Amino acid sequence: MDYTLRGRVFIGVILVAMGLLSLRLAQLQLIRTDDYVSESETNALRERRVLPARGAIYDRNGRILVNNEPSYTVTITPRSFDADKIPLLADLLEVPDSVVAARFAELRRYSAFQPGKAFRDVPEDIFSRVAENFYRLPGVGYDQDFRRRYHTKATAAHVLGYVREVTDSELARLQERGYRQGDLIGKSGVESRYEFGLRGSLGSEIKVVNVHGLEVNSWQDGAFDHAPTSGYDMHLGLDTDLQALAESLFVGKRGGAVALDANSGEILALVSKPDYDPDVFTEAMDPEDWDHLINSPEKPLYNRATMNLLPPGSTWKPFMALMALQEGTISPTEHVHCAGYHPLGGPSVFRDMDAHGRIALEEALEKSCNTFFFELMMRTNVEAFSDYARMFGFGEQVATDIGEQGSGLIPDSAYYDQRFPAWGPGYTINLGVGQGDMGVTPLQLARYAAAVANRGTLYTPHLVTRMAHAETGEILYPQIAAPAKLPIREAHFDVVREGMKRVMEAGTGRWIQIPGIPSGGKTGTAQAPHGRKDDSVFILFAPYDDPQIAVAVQVENAGFGAVAAGPIGSLMAEQYLTGSIDASPARQWVLQSVLAVESEPLHGEEAAPEAARSPGQADVPEEAGPGEETAQAPQDSESAADIEADA
Amino acid sequence: MRIWYRNLDYLTIFAWVGLASIGLVAIYSTTNGPSAEYLLASVRQNFWRQLAWIVISSGAGLACLFLPVHFFQRVAWVAYLGTLLLLALALLFGREVNGARSWLYIGGFSLQVSEIAKVGAVLAAAQLVSSIRPNSSKVRYALLLVAVFMVPVALILLQNDAGTAFVFCAVAPVAVFWAIWPTSMFILMAASGVAGYFAVVHLPTALVFAALFTIFVFWKTRSRLYGAMAGVFSGGAIAAVLFALHQVFRPHQVARIRSFTNPGAEEFRSGVGFHLVQSKAAIGSGGLTGKGFMEGTQTQGAYVPEQSTDFVFSIIGEEWGFLGSMAVIALFTVLLVRVIQMGMQIKHPFGSMVAVGTASIFLAHVFVNIGMVAGLLPVIGIPLPFISYGGSAMLANTVLLALLLNLHMRRDDFPIYVY
Repeated sequence: MDYTLRGRVFIGVILVAMGLLSLRLAQLQLIRTDDYVSESETNALRERRVLPARGAIYDRNGRILVNNEPSYTVTITPRSFDADKIPLLADLLEVPDSVVAARFAELRRYSAFQPGKAFRDVPEDIFSRVAENFYRLPGVGYDQDFRRRYHTKATAAHVLGYVREVTDSELARLQERGYRQGDLIGKSGVESRYEFGLRGSLGSEIKVVNVHGLEVNSWQDGAFDHAPTSGYDMHLGLDTDLQALAESLFVGKRGGAVALDANSGEILALVSKPDYDPDVFTEAMDPEDWDHLINSPEKPLYNRATMNLLPPGSTWKPFMALMALQEGTISPTEHVHCAGYHPLGGPSVFRDMDAHGRIALEEALEKSCNTFFFELMMRTNVEAFSDYARMFGFGEQVATDIGEQGSGLIPDSAYYDQRFPAWGPGYTINLGVGQGDMGVTPLQLARYAAAVANRGTLYTPHLVTRMAHAETGEILYPQIAAPAKLPIREAHFDVVREGMKRVMEAGTGRWIQIPGIPSGGKTGTAQAPHGRKDDSVFILFAPYDDPQIAVAVQVENAGFGAVAAGPIGSLMAEQYLTGSIDASPARQWVLQSVLAVESEPLHGEEAAPEAARSPGQADVPEEAGPGEETAQAPQDSESAADIEADA
Repeated sequence: MRIWYRNLDYLTIFAWVGLASIGLVAIYSTTNGPSAEYLLASVRQNFWRQLAWIVISSGAGLACLFLPVHFFQRVAWVAYLGTLLLLALALLFGREVNGARSWLYIGGFSLQVSEIAKVGAVLAAAQLVSSIRPNSSKVRYALLLVAVFMVPVALILLQNDAGTAFVFCAVAPVAVFWAIWPTSMFILMAASGVAGYFAVVHLPTALVFAALFTIFVFWKTRSRLYGAMAGVFSGGAIAAVLFALHQVFRPHQVARIRSFTNPGAEEFRSGVGFHLVQSKAAIGSGGLTGKGFMEGTQTQGAYVPEQSTDFVFSIIGEEWGFLGSMAVIALFTVLLVRVIQMGMQIKHPFGSMVAVGTASIFLAHVFVNIGMVAGLLPVIGIPLPFISYGGSAMLANTVLLALLLNLHMRRDDFPIYVY
């Protein structure tokens, strides 16, 4: 049989078949290469983020407040993870199975393909045990992370803020900036305000990932990897010793204090008490602790120093004096008659604590004569009052690097029109002594005290003085609004400063004079709602001739200004100016006595704050204490809602 | 005295060595690459096992070269019955691998007997066609020849090894055409096959092809009979495929068959299409020159399932690129053409039937395997001869080839007259 023809046909079939395969391969490998290259890369290459070291935070003397320490985080890539391995992983991590299962379910909801941070801050011995078993745990990997480490005894919680894992709503906003589930982000304070500067920029490594999601090696020997750039170190104006002292003086109290450099607006100390330890946020938090932070009536997360809205009480009097002098409604030598009350309401309405007789401005400041300042308010109108107050930065937030601020309340005629359509002088006269429908924050008070101290320059208070990059040495300065020159003659400041000096030498501040350093100050006592003890307020600048520091202190429900806030402010100024507290028995007694002062405790049912009550004229005199004038306290409270939204 | 190996076909041996070496290189890349530590312990030894099987197969092949042609003619039926027995034993006592009960443990080895059965079937078919006489009933022989292949097909199907069964089915008609029916029938069947393929992929193309083919046959032969046959065969193939798709197979089976046409589609991607998405990504991303030895991300990441066995070609495509793929295609072309040419030179029906059986088995494997890996054909799990990891296939294919080399080398030992 001749097979030649059949053989040729068969060979033809072979050649056609091989030709078809060759054409197909040419199509795949020569023509559509790019499609498949990208397909194989999305498949097998994983860009692994390399987190930069978060910037450190230093105080004004270069002392380190916060930096980082390494921590290991176990990650799970849900797609590659085998749910049957949950018991093994739980066993290695020494946690219940249900915890691993819950975390896995949570990560899977976010993304099946991205490795998600399942367990952070795994102790090193446990981590190494898990690492040894990676080959048995497809989809399980790790990240080396950083956690915040706090160094000083000053917690400065409301200055530094804290960092936590990003929330879903933040992620939605920040995903494009490279944030992923489980990343840390600053939640408040400097950590939040300078988040992008502190965070640095992400690096990346490209890894070859096998079908189980395990990284098997780096792609092209790391030719496409980028090292991360660490964040900027933040240098603060804060003085750690001053901050620590101020925090210790607030033991048992609620309130806030701000100390400023009177010639630059740098924040030397910023205290809000009760506070919290930022370190608690670096680890998984006990639900009980979290519940306390969120739900405690004392609101430890709430920054009283920048958000509390308390009436300034008599600390407002220097402002009234400056306004009246500049407006020409009073002269430094003009006398007003004080019969122990202002005639507008008769003997029992706008009372003073004493009948001062004929009294001029400096003495009125020294004696804190209410009648005199009621009269100044009578001679002006609420519009001018409002304009001057805003000039000093009251009634609005200051554009600076403090994220959480209250704007305060400074009323104008529109305010009264809306609230009390039939209003008249009887409604506004209380403003003259810093009470009624107004509220200021310690930060605003400190800024005002500094402006009085330096005779009319209103600086912008700020936390960060410079940002330095550890790797490149580059230094950036935050853009702080330029100081404003107040349109008030310096001579008027001299008069008011003299009055404030007399307060410290002969008035309510006499017992809290800084040993050897003349100063100017003013105490205030503001009436609190709910029949609680008065709020204690104090402003101070020192030294008198060349002011370096301006302090404002508010202590809630602690009594007279001279009892609680006064000594705190005085001791803070002394600490800053001399580096210590004088050892004399008199000064130590001041220290011990203020440590003994406590704020009247809050009770849960009273926690809900109340809007400013109406300045019913009959109210004030009836409840006026034996000491000074009183004022109502519209206490602020937007805080809890914000924080809860994040929780 | 004549040198016994004077007629040995070195080109074939060269192709065999080349293909086996390429296979070893590909398998080495999966087991000894940077990702080797993530492999299962049972897979890590694949390279050395394959090397051992190549040594064993070479020994068996060499042994075949020393045996006289009469030996094979005499043992053909014995070998056939022996392989049927093995198939039955595997069915009874075999071990299941990937759902197919086609593995027998003999000593320390596990044998995939369906691969071994190919040798027996080819020998039996060759012996059968040798006994055809000019006055024999062609229909009877054709039926017997088909039966020689269909008995093992039945057993293999019972073992649930559809891929290997398919190869036997593909060889049967080739053998019938080669030995009995006229060449024109071959063209007819080939055209029907093409029409059937397009019926799965793209029905309009299939219909146009059938129509054109019918017109071509009629125009070429001017015979209504042949024209009608062309129409009936090609149209019938389309009808049969459509019937099978819509009436015989369950929807999930249809999905599996059709998935290769669009494996990336959402419903296939992570299921039946996963093999193809990954294997096309591997091959396509290799480009002209490939990513380099042990540099293929798909290979090293073990993305292609069965990458050292049925999908071994994806490794070559990814790491050695189009050039590597073409080297494999070229070696197979050389091998197949040489096998057919040897069959033509032997002239004796026994030898030429061994050649054509061998060639059609290899061609079915190569075309279906590479066609599958490249996304041209449905996923049918059969290995790539000499390259895929797997000892039984290596042994069976090498023995088939050695047998043919022997018959070709000793072709003068065949009687001139068949009768």
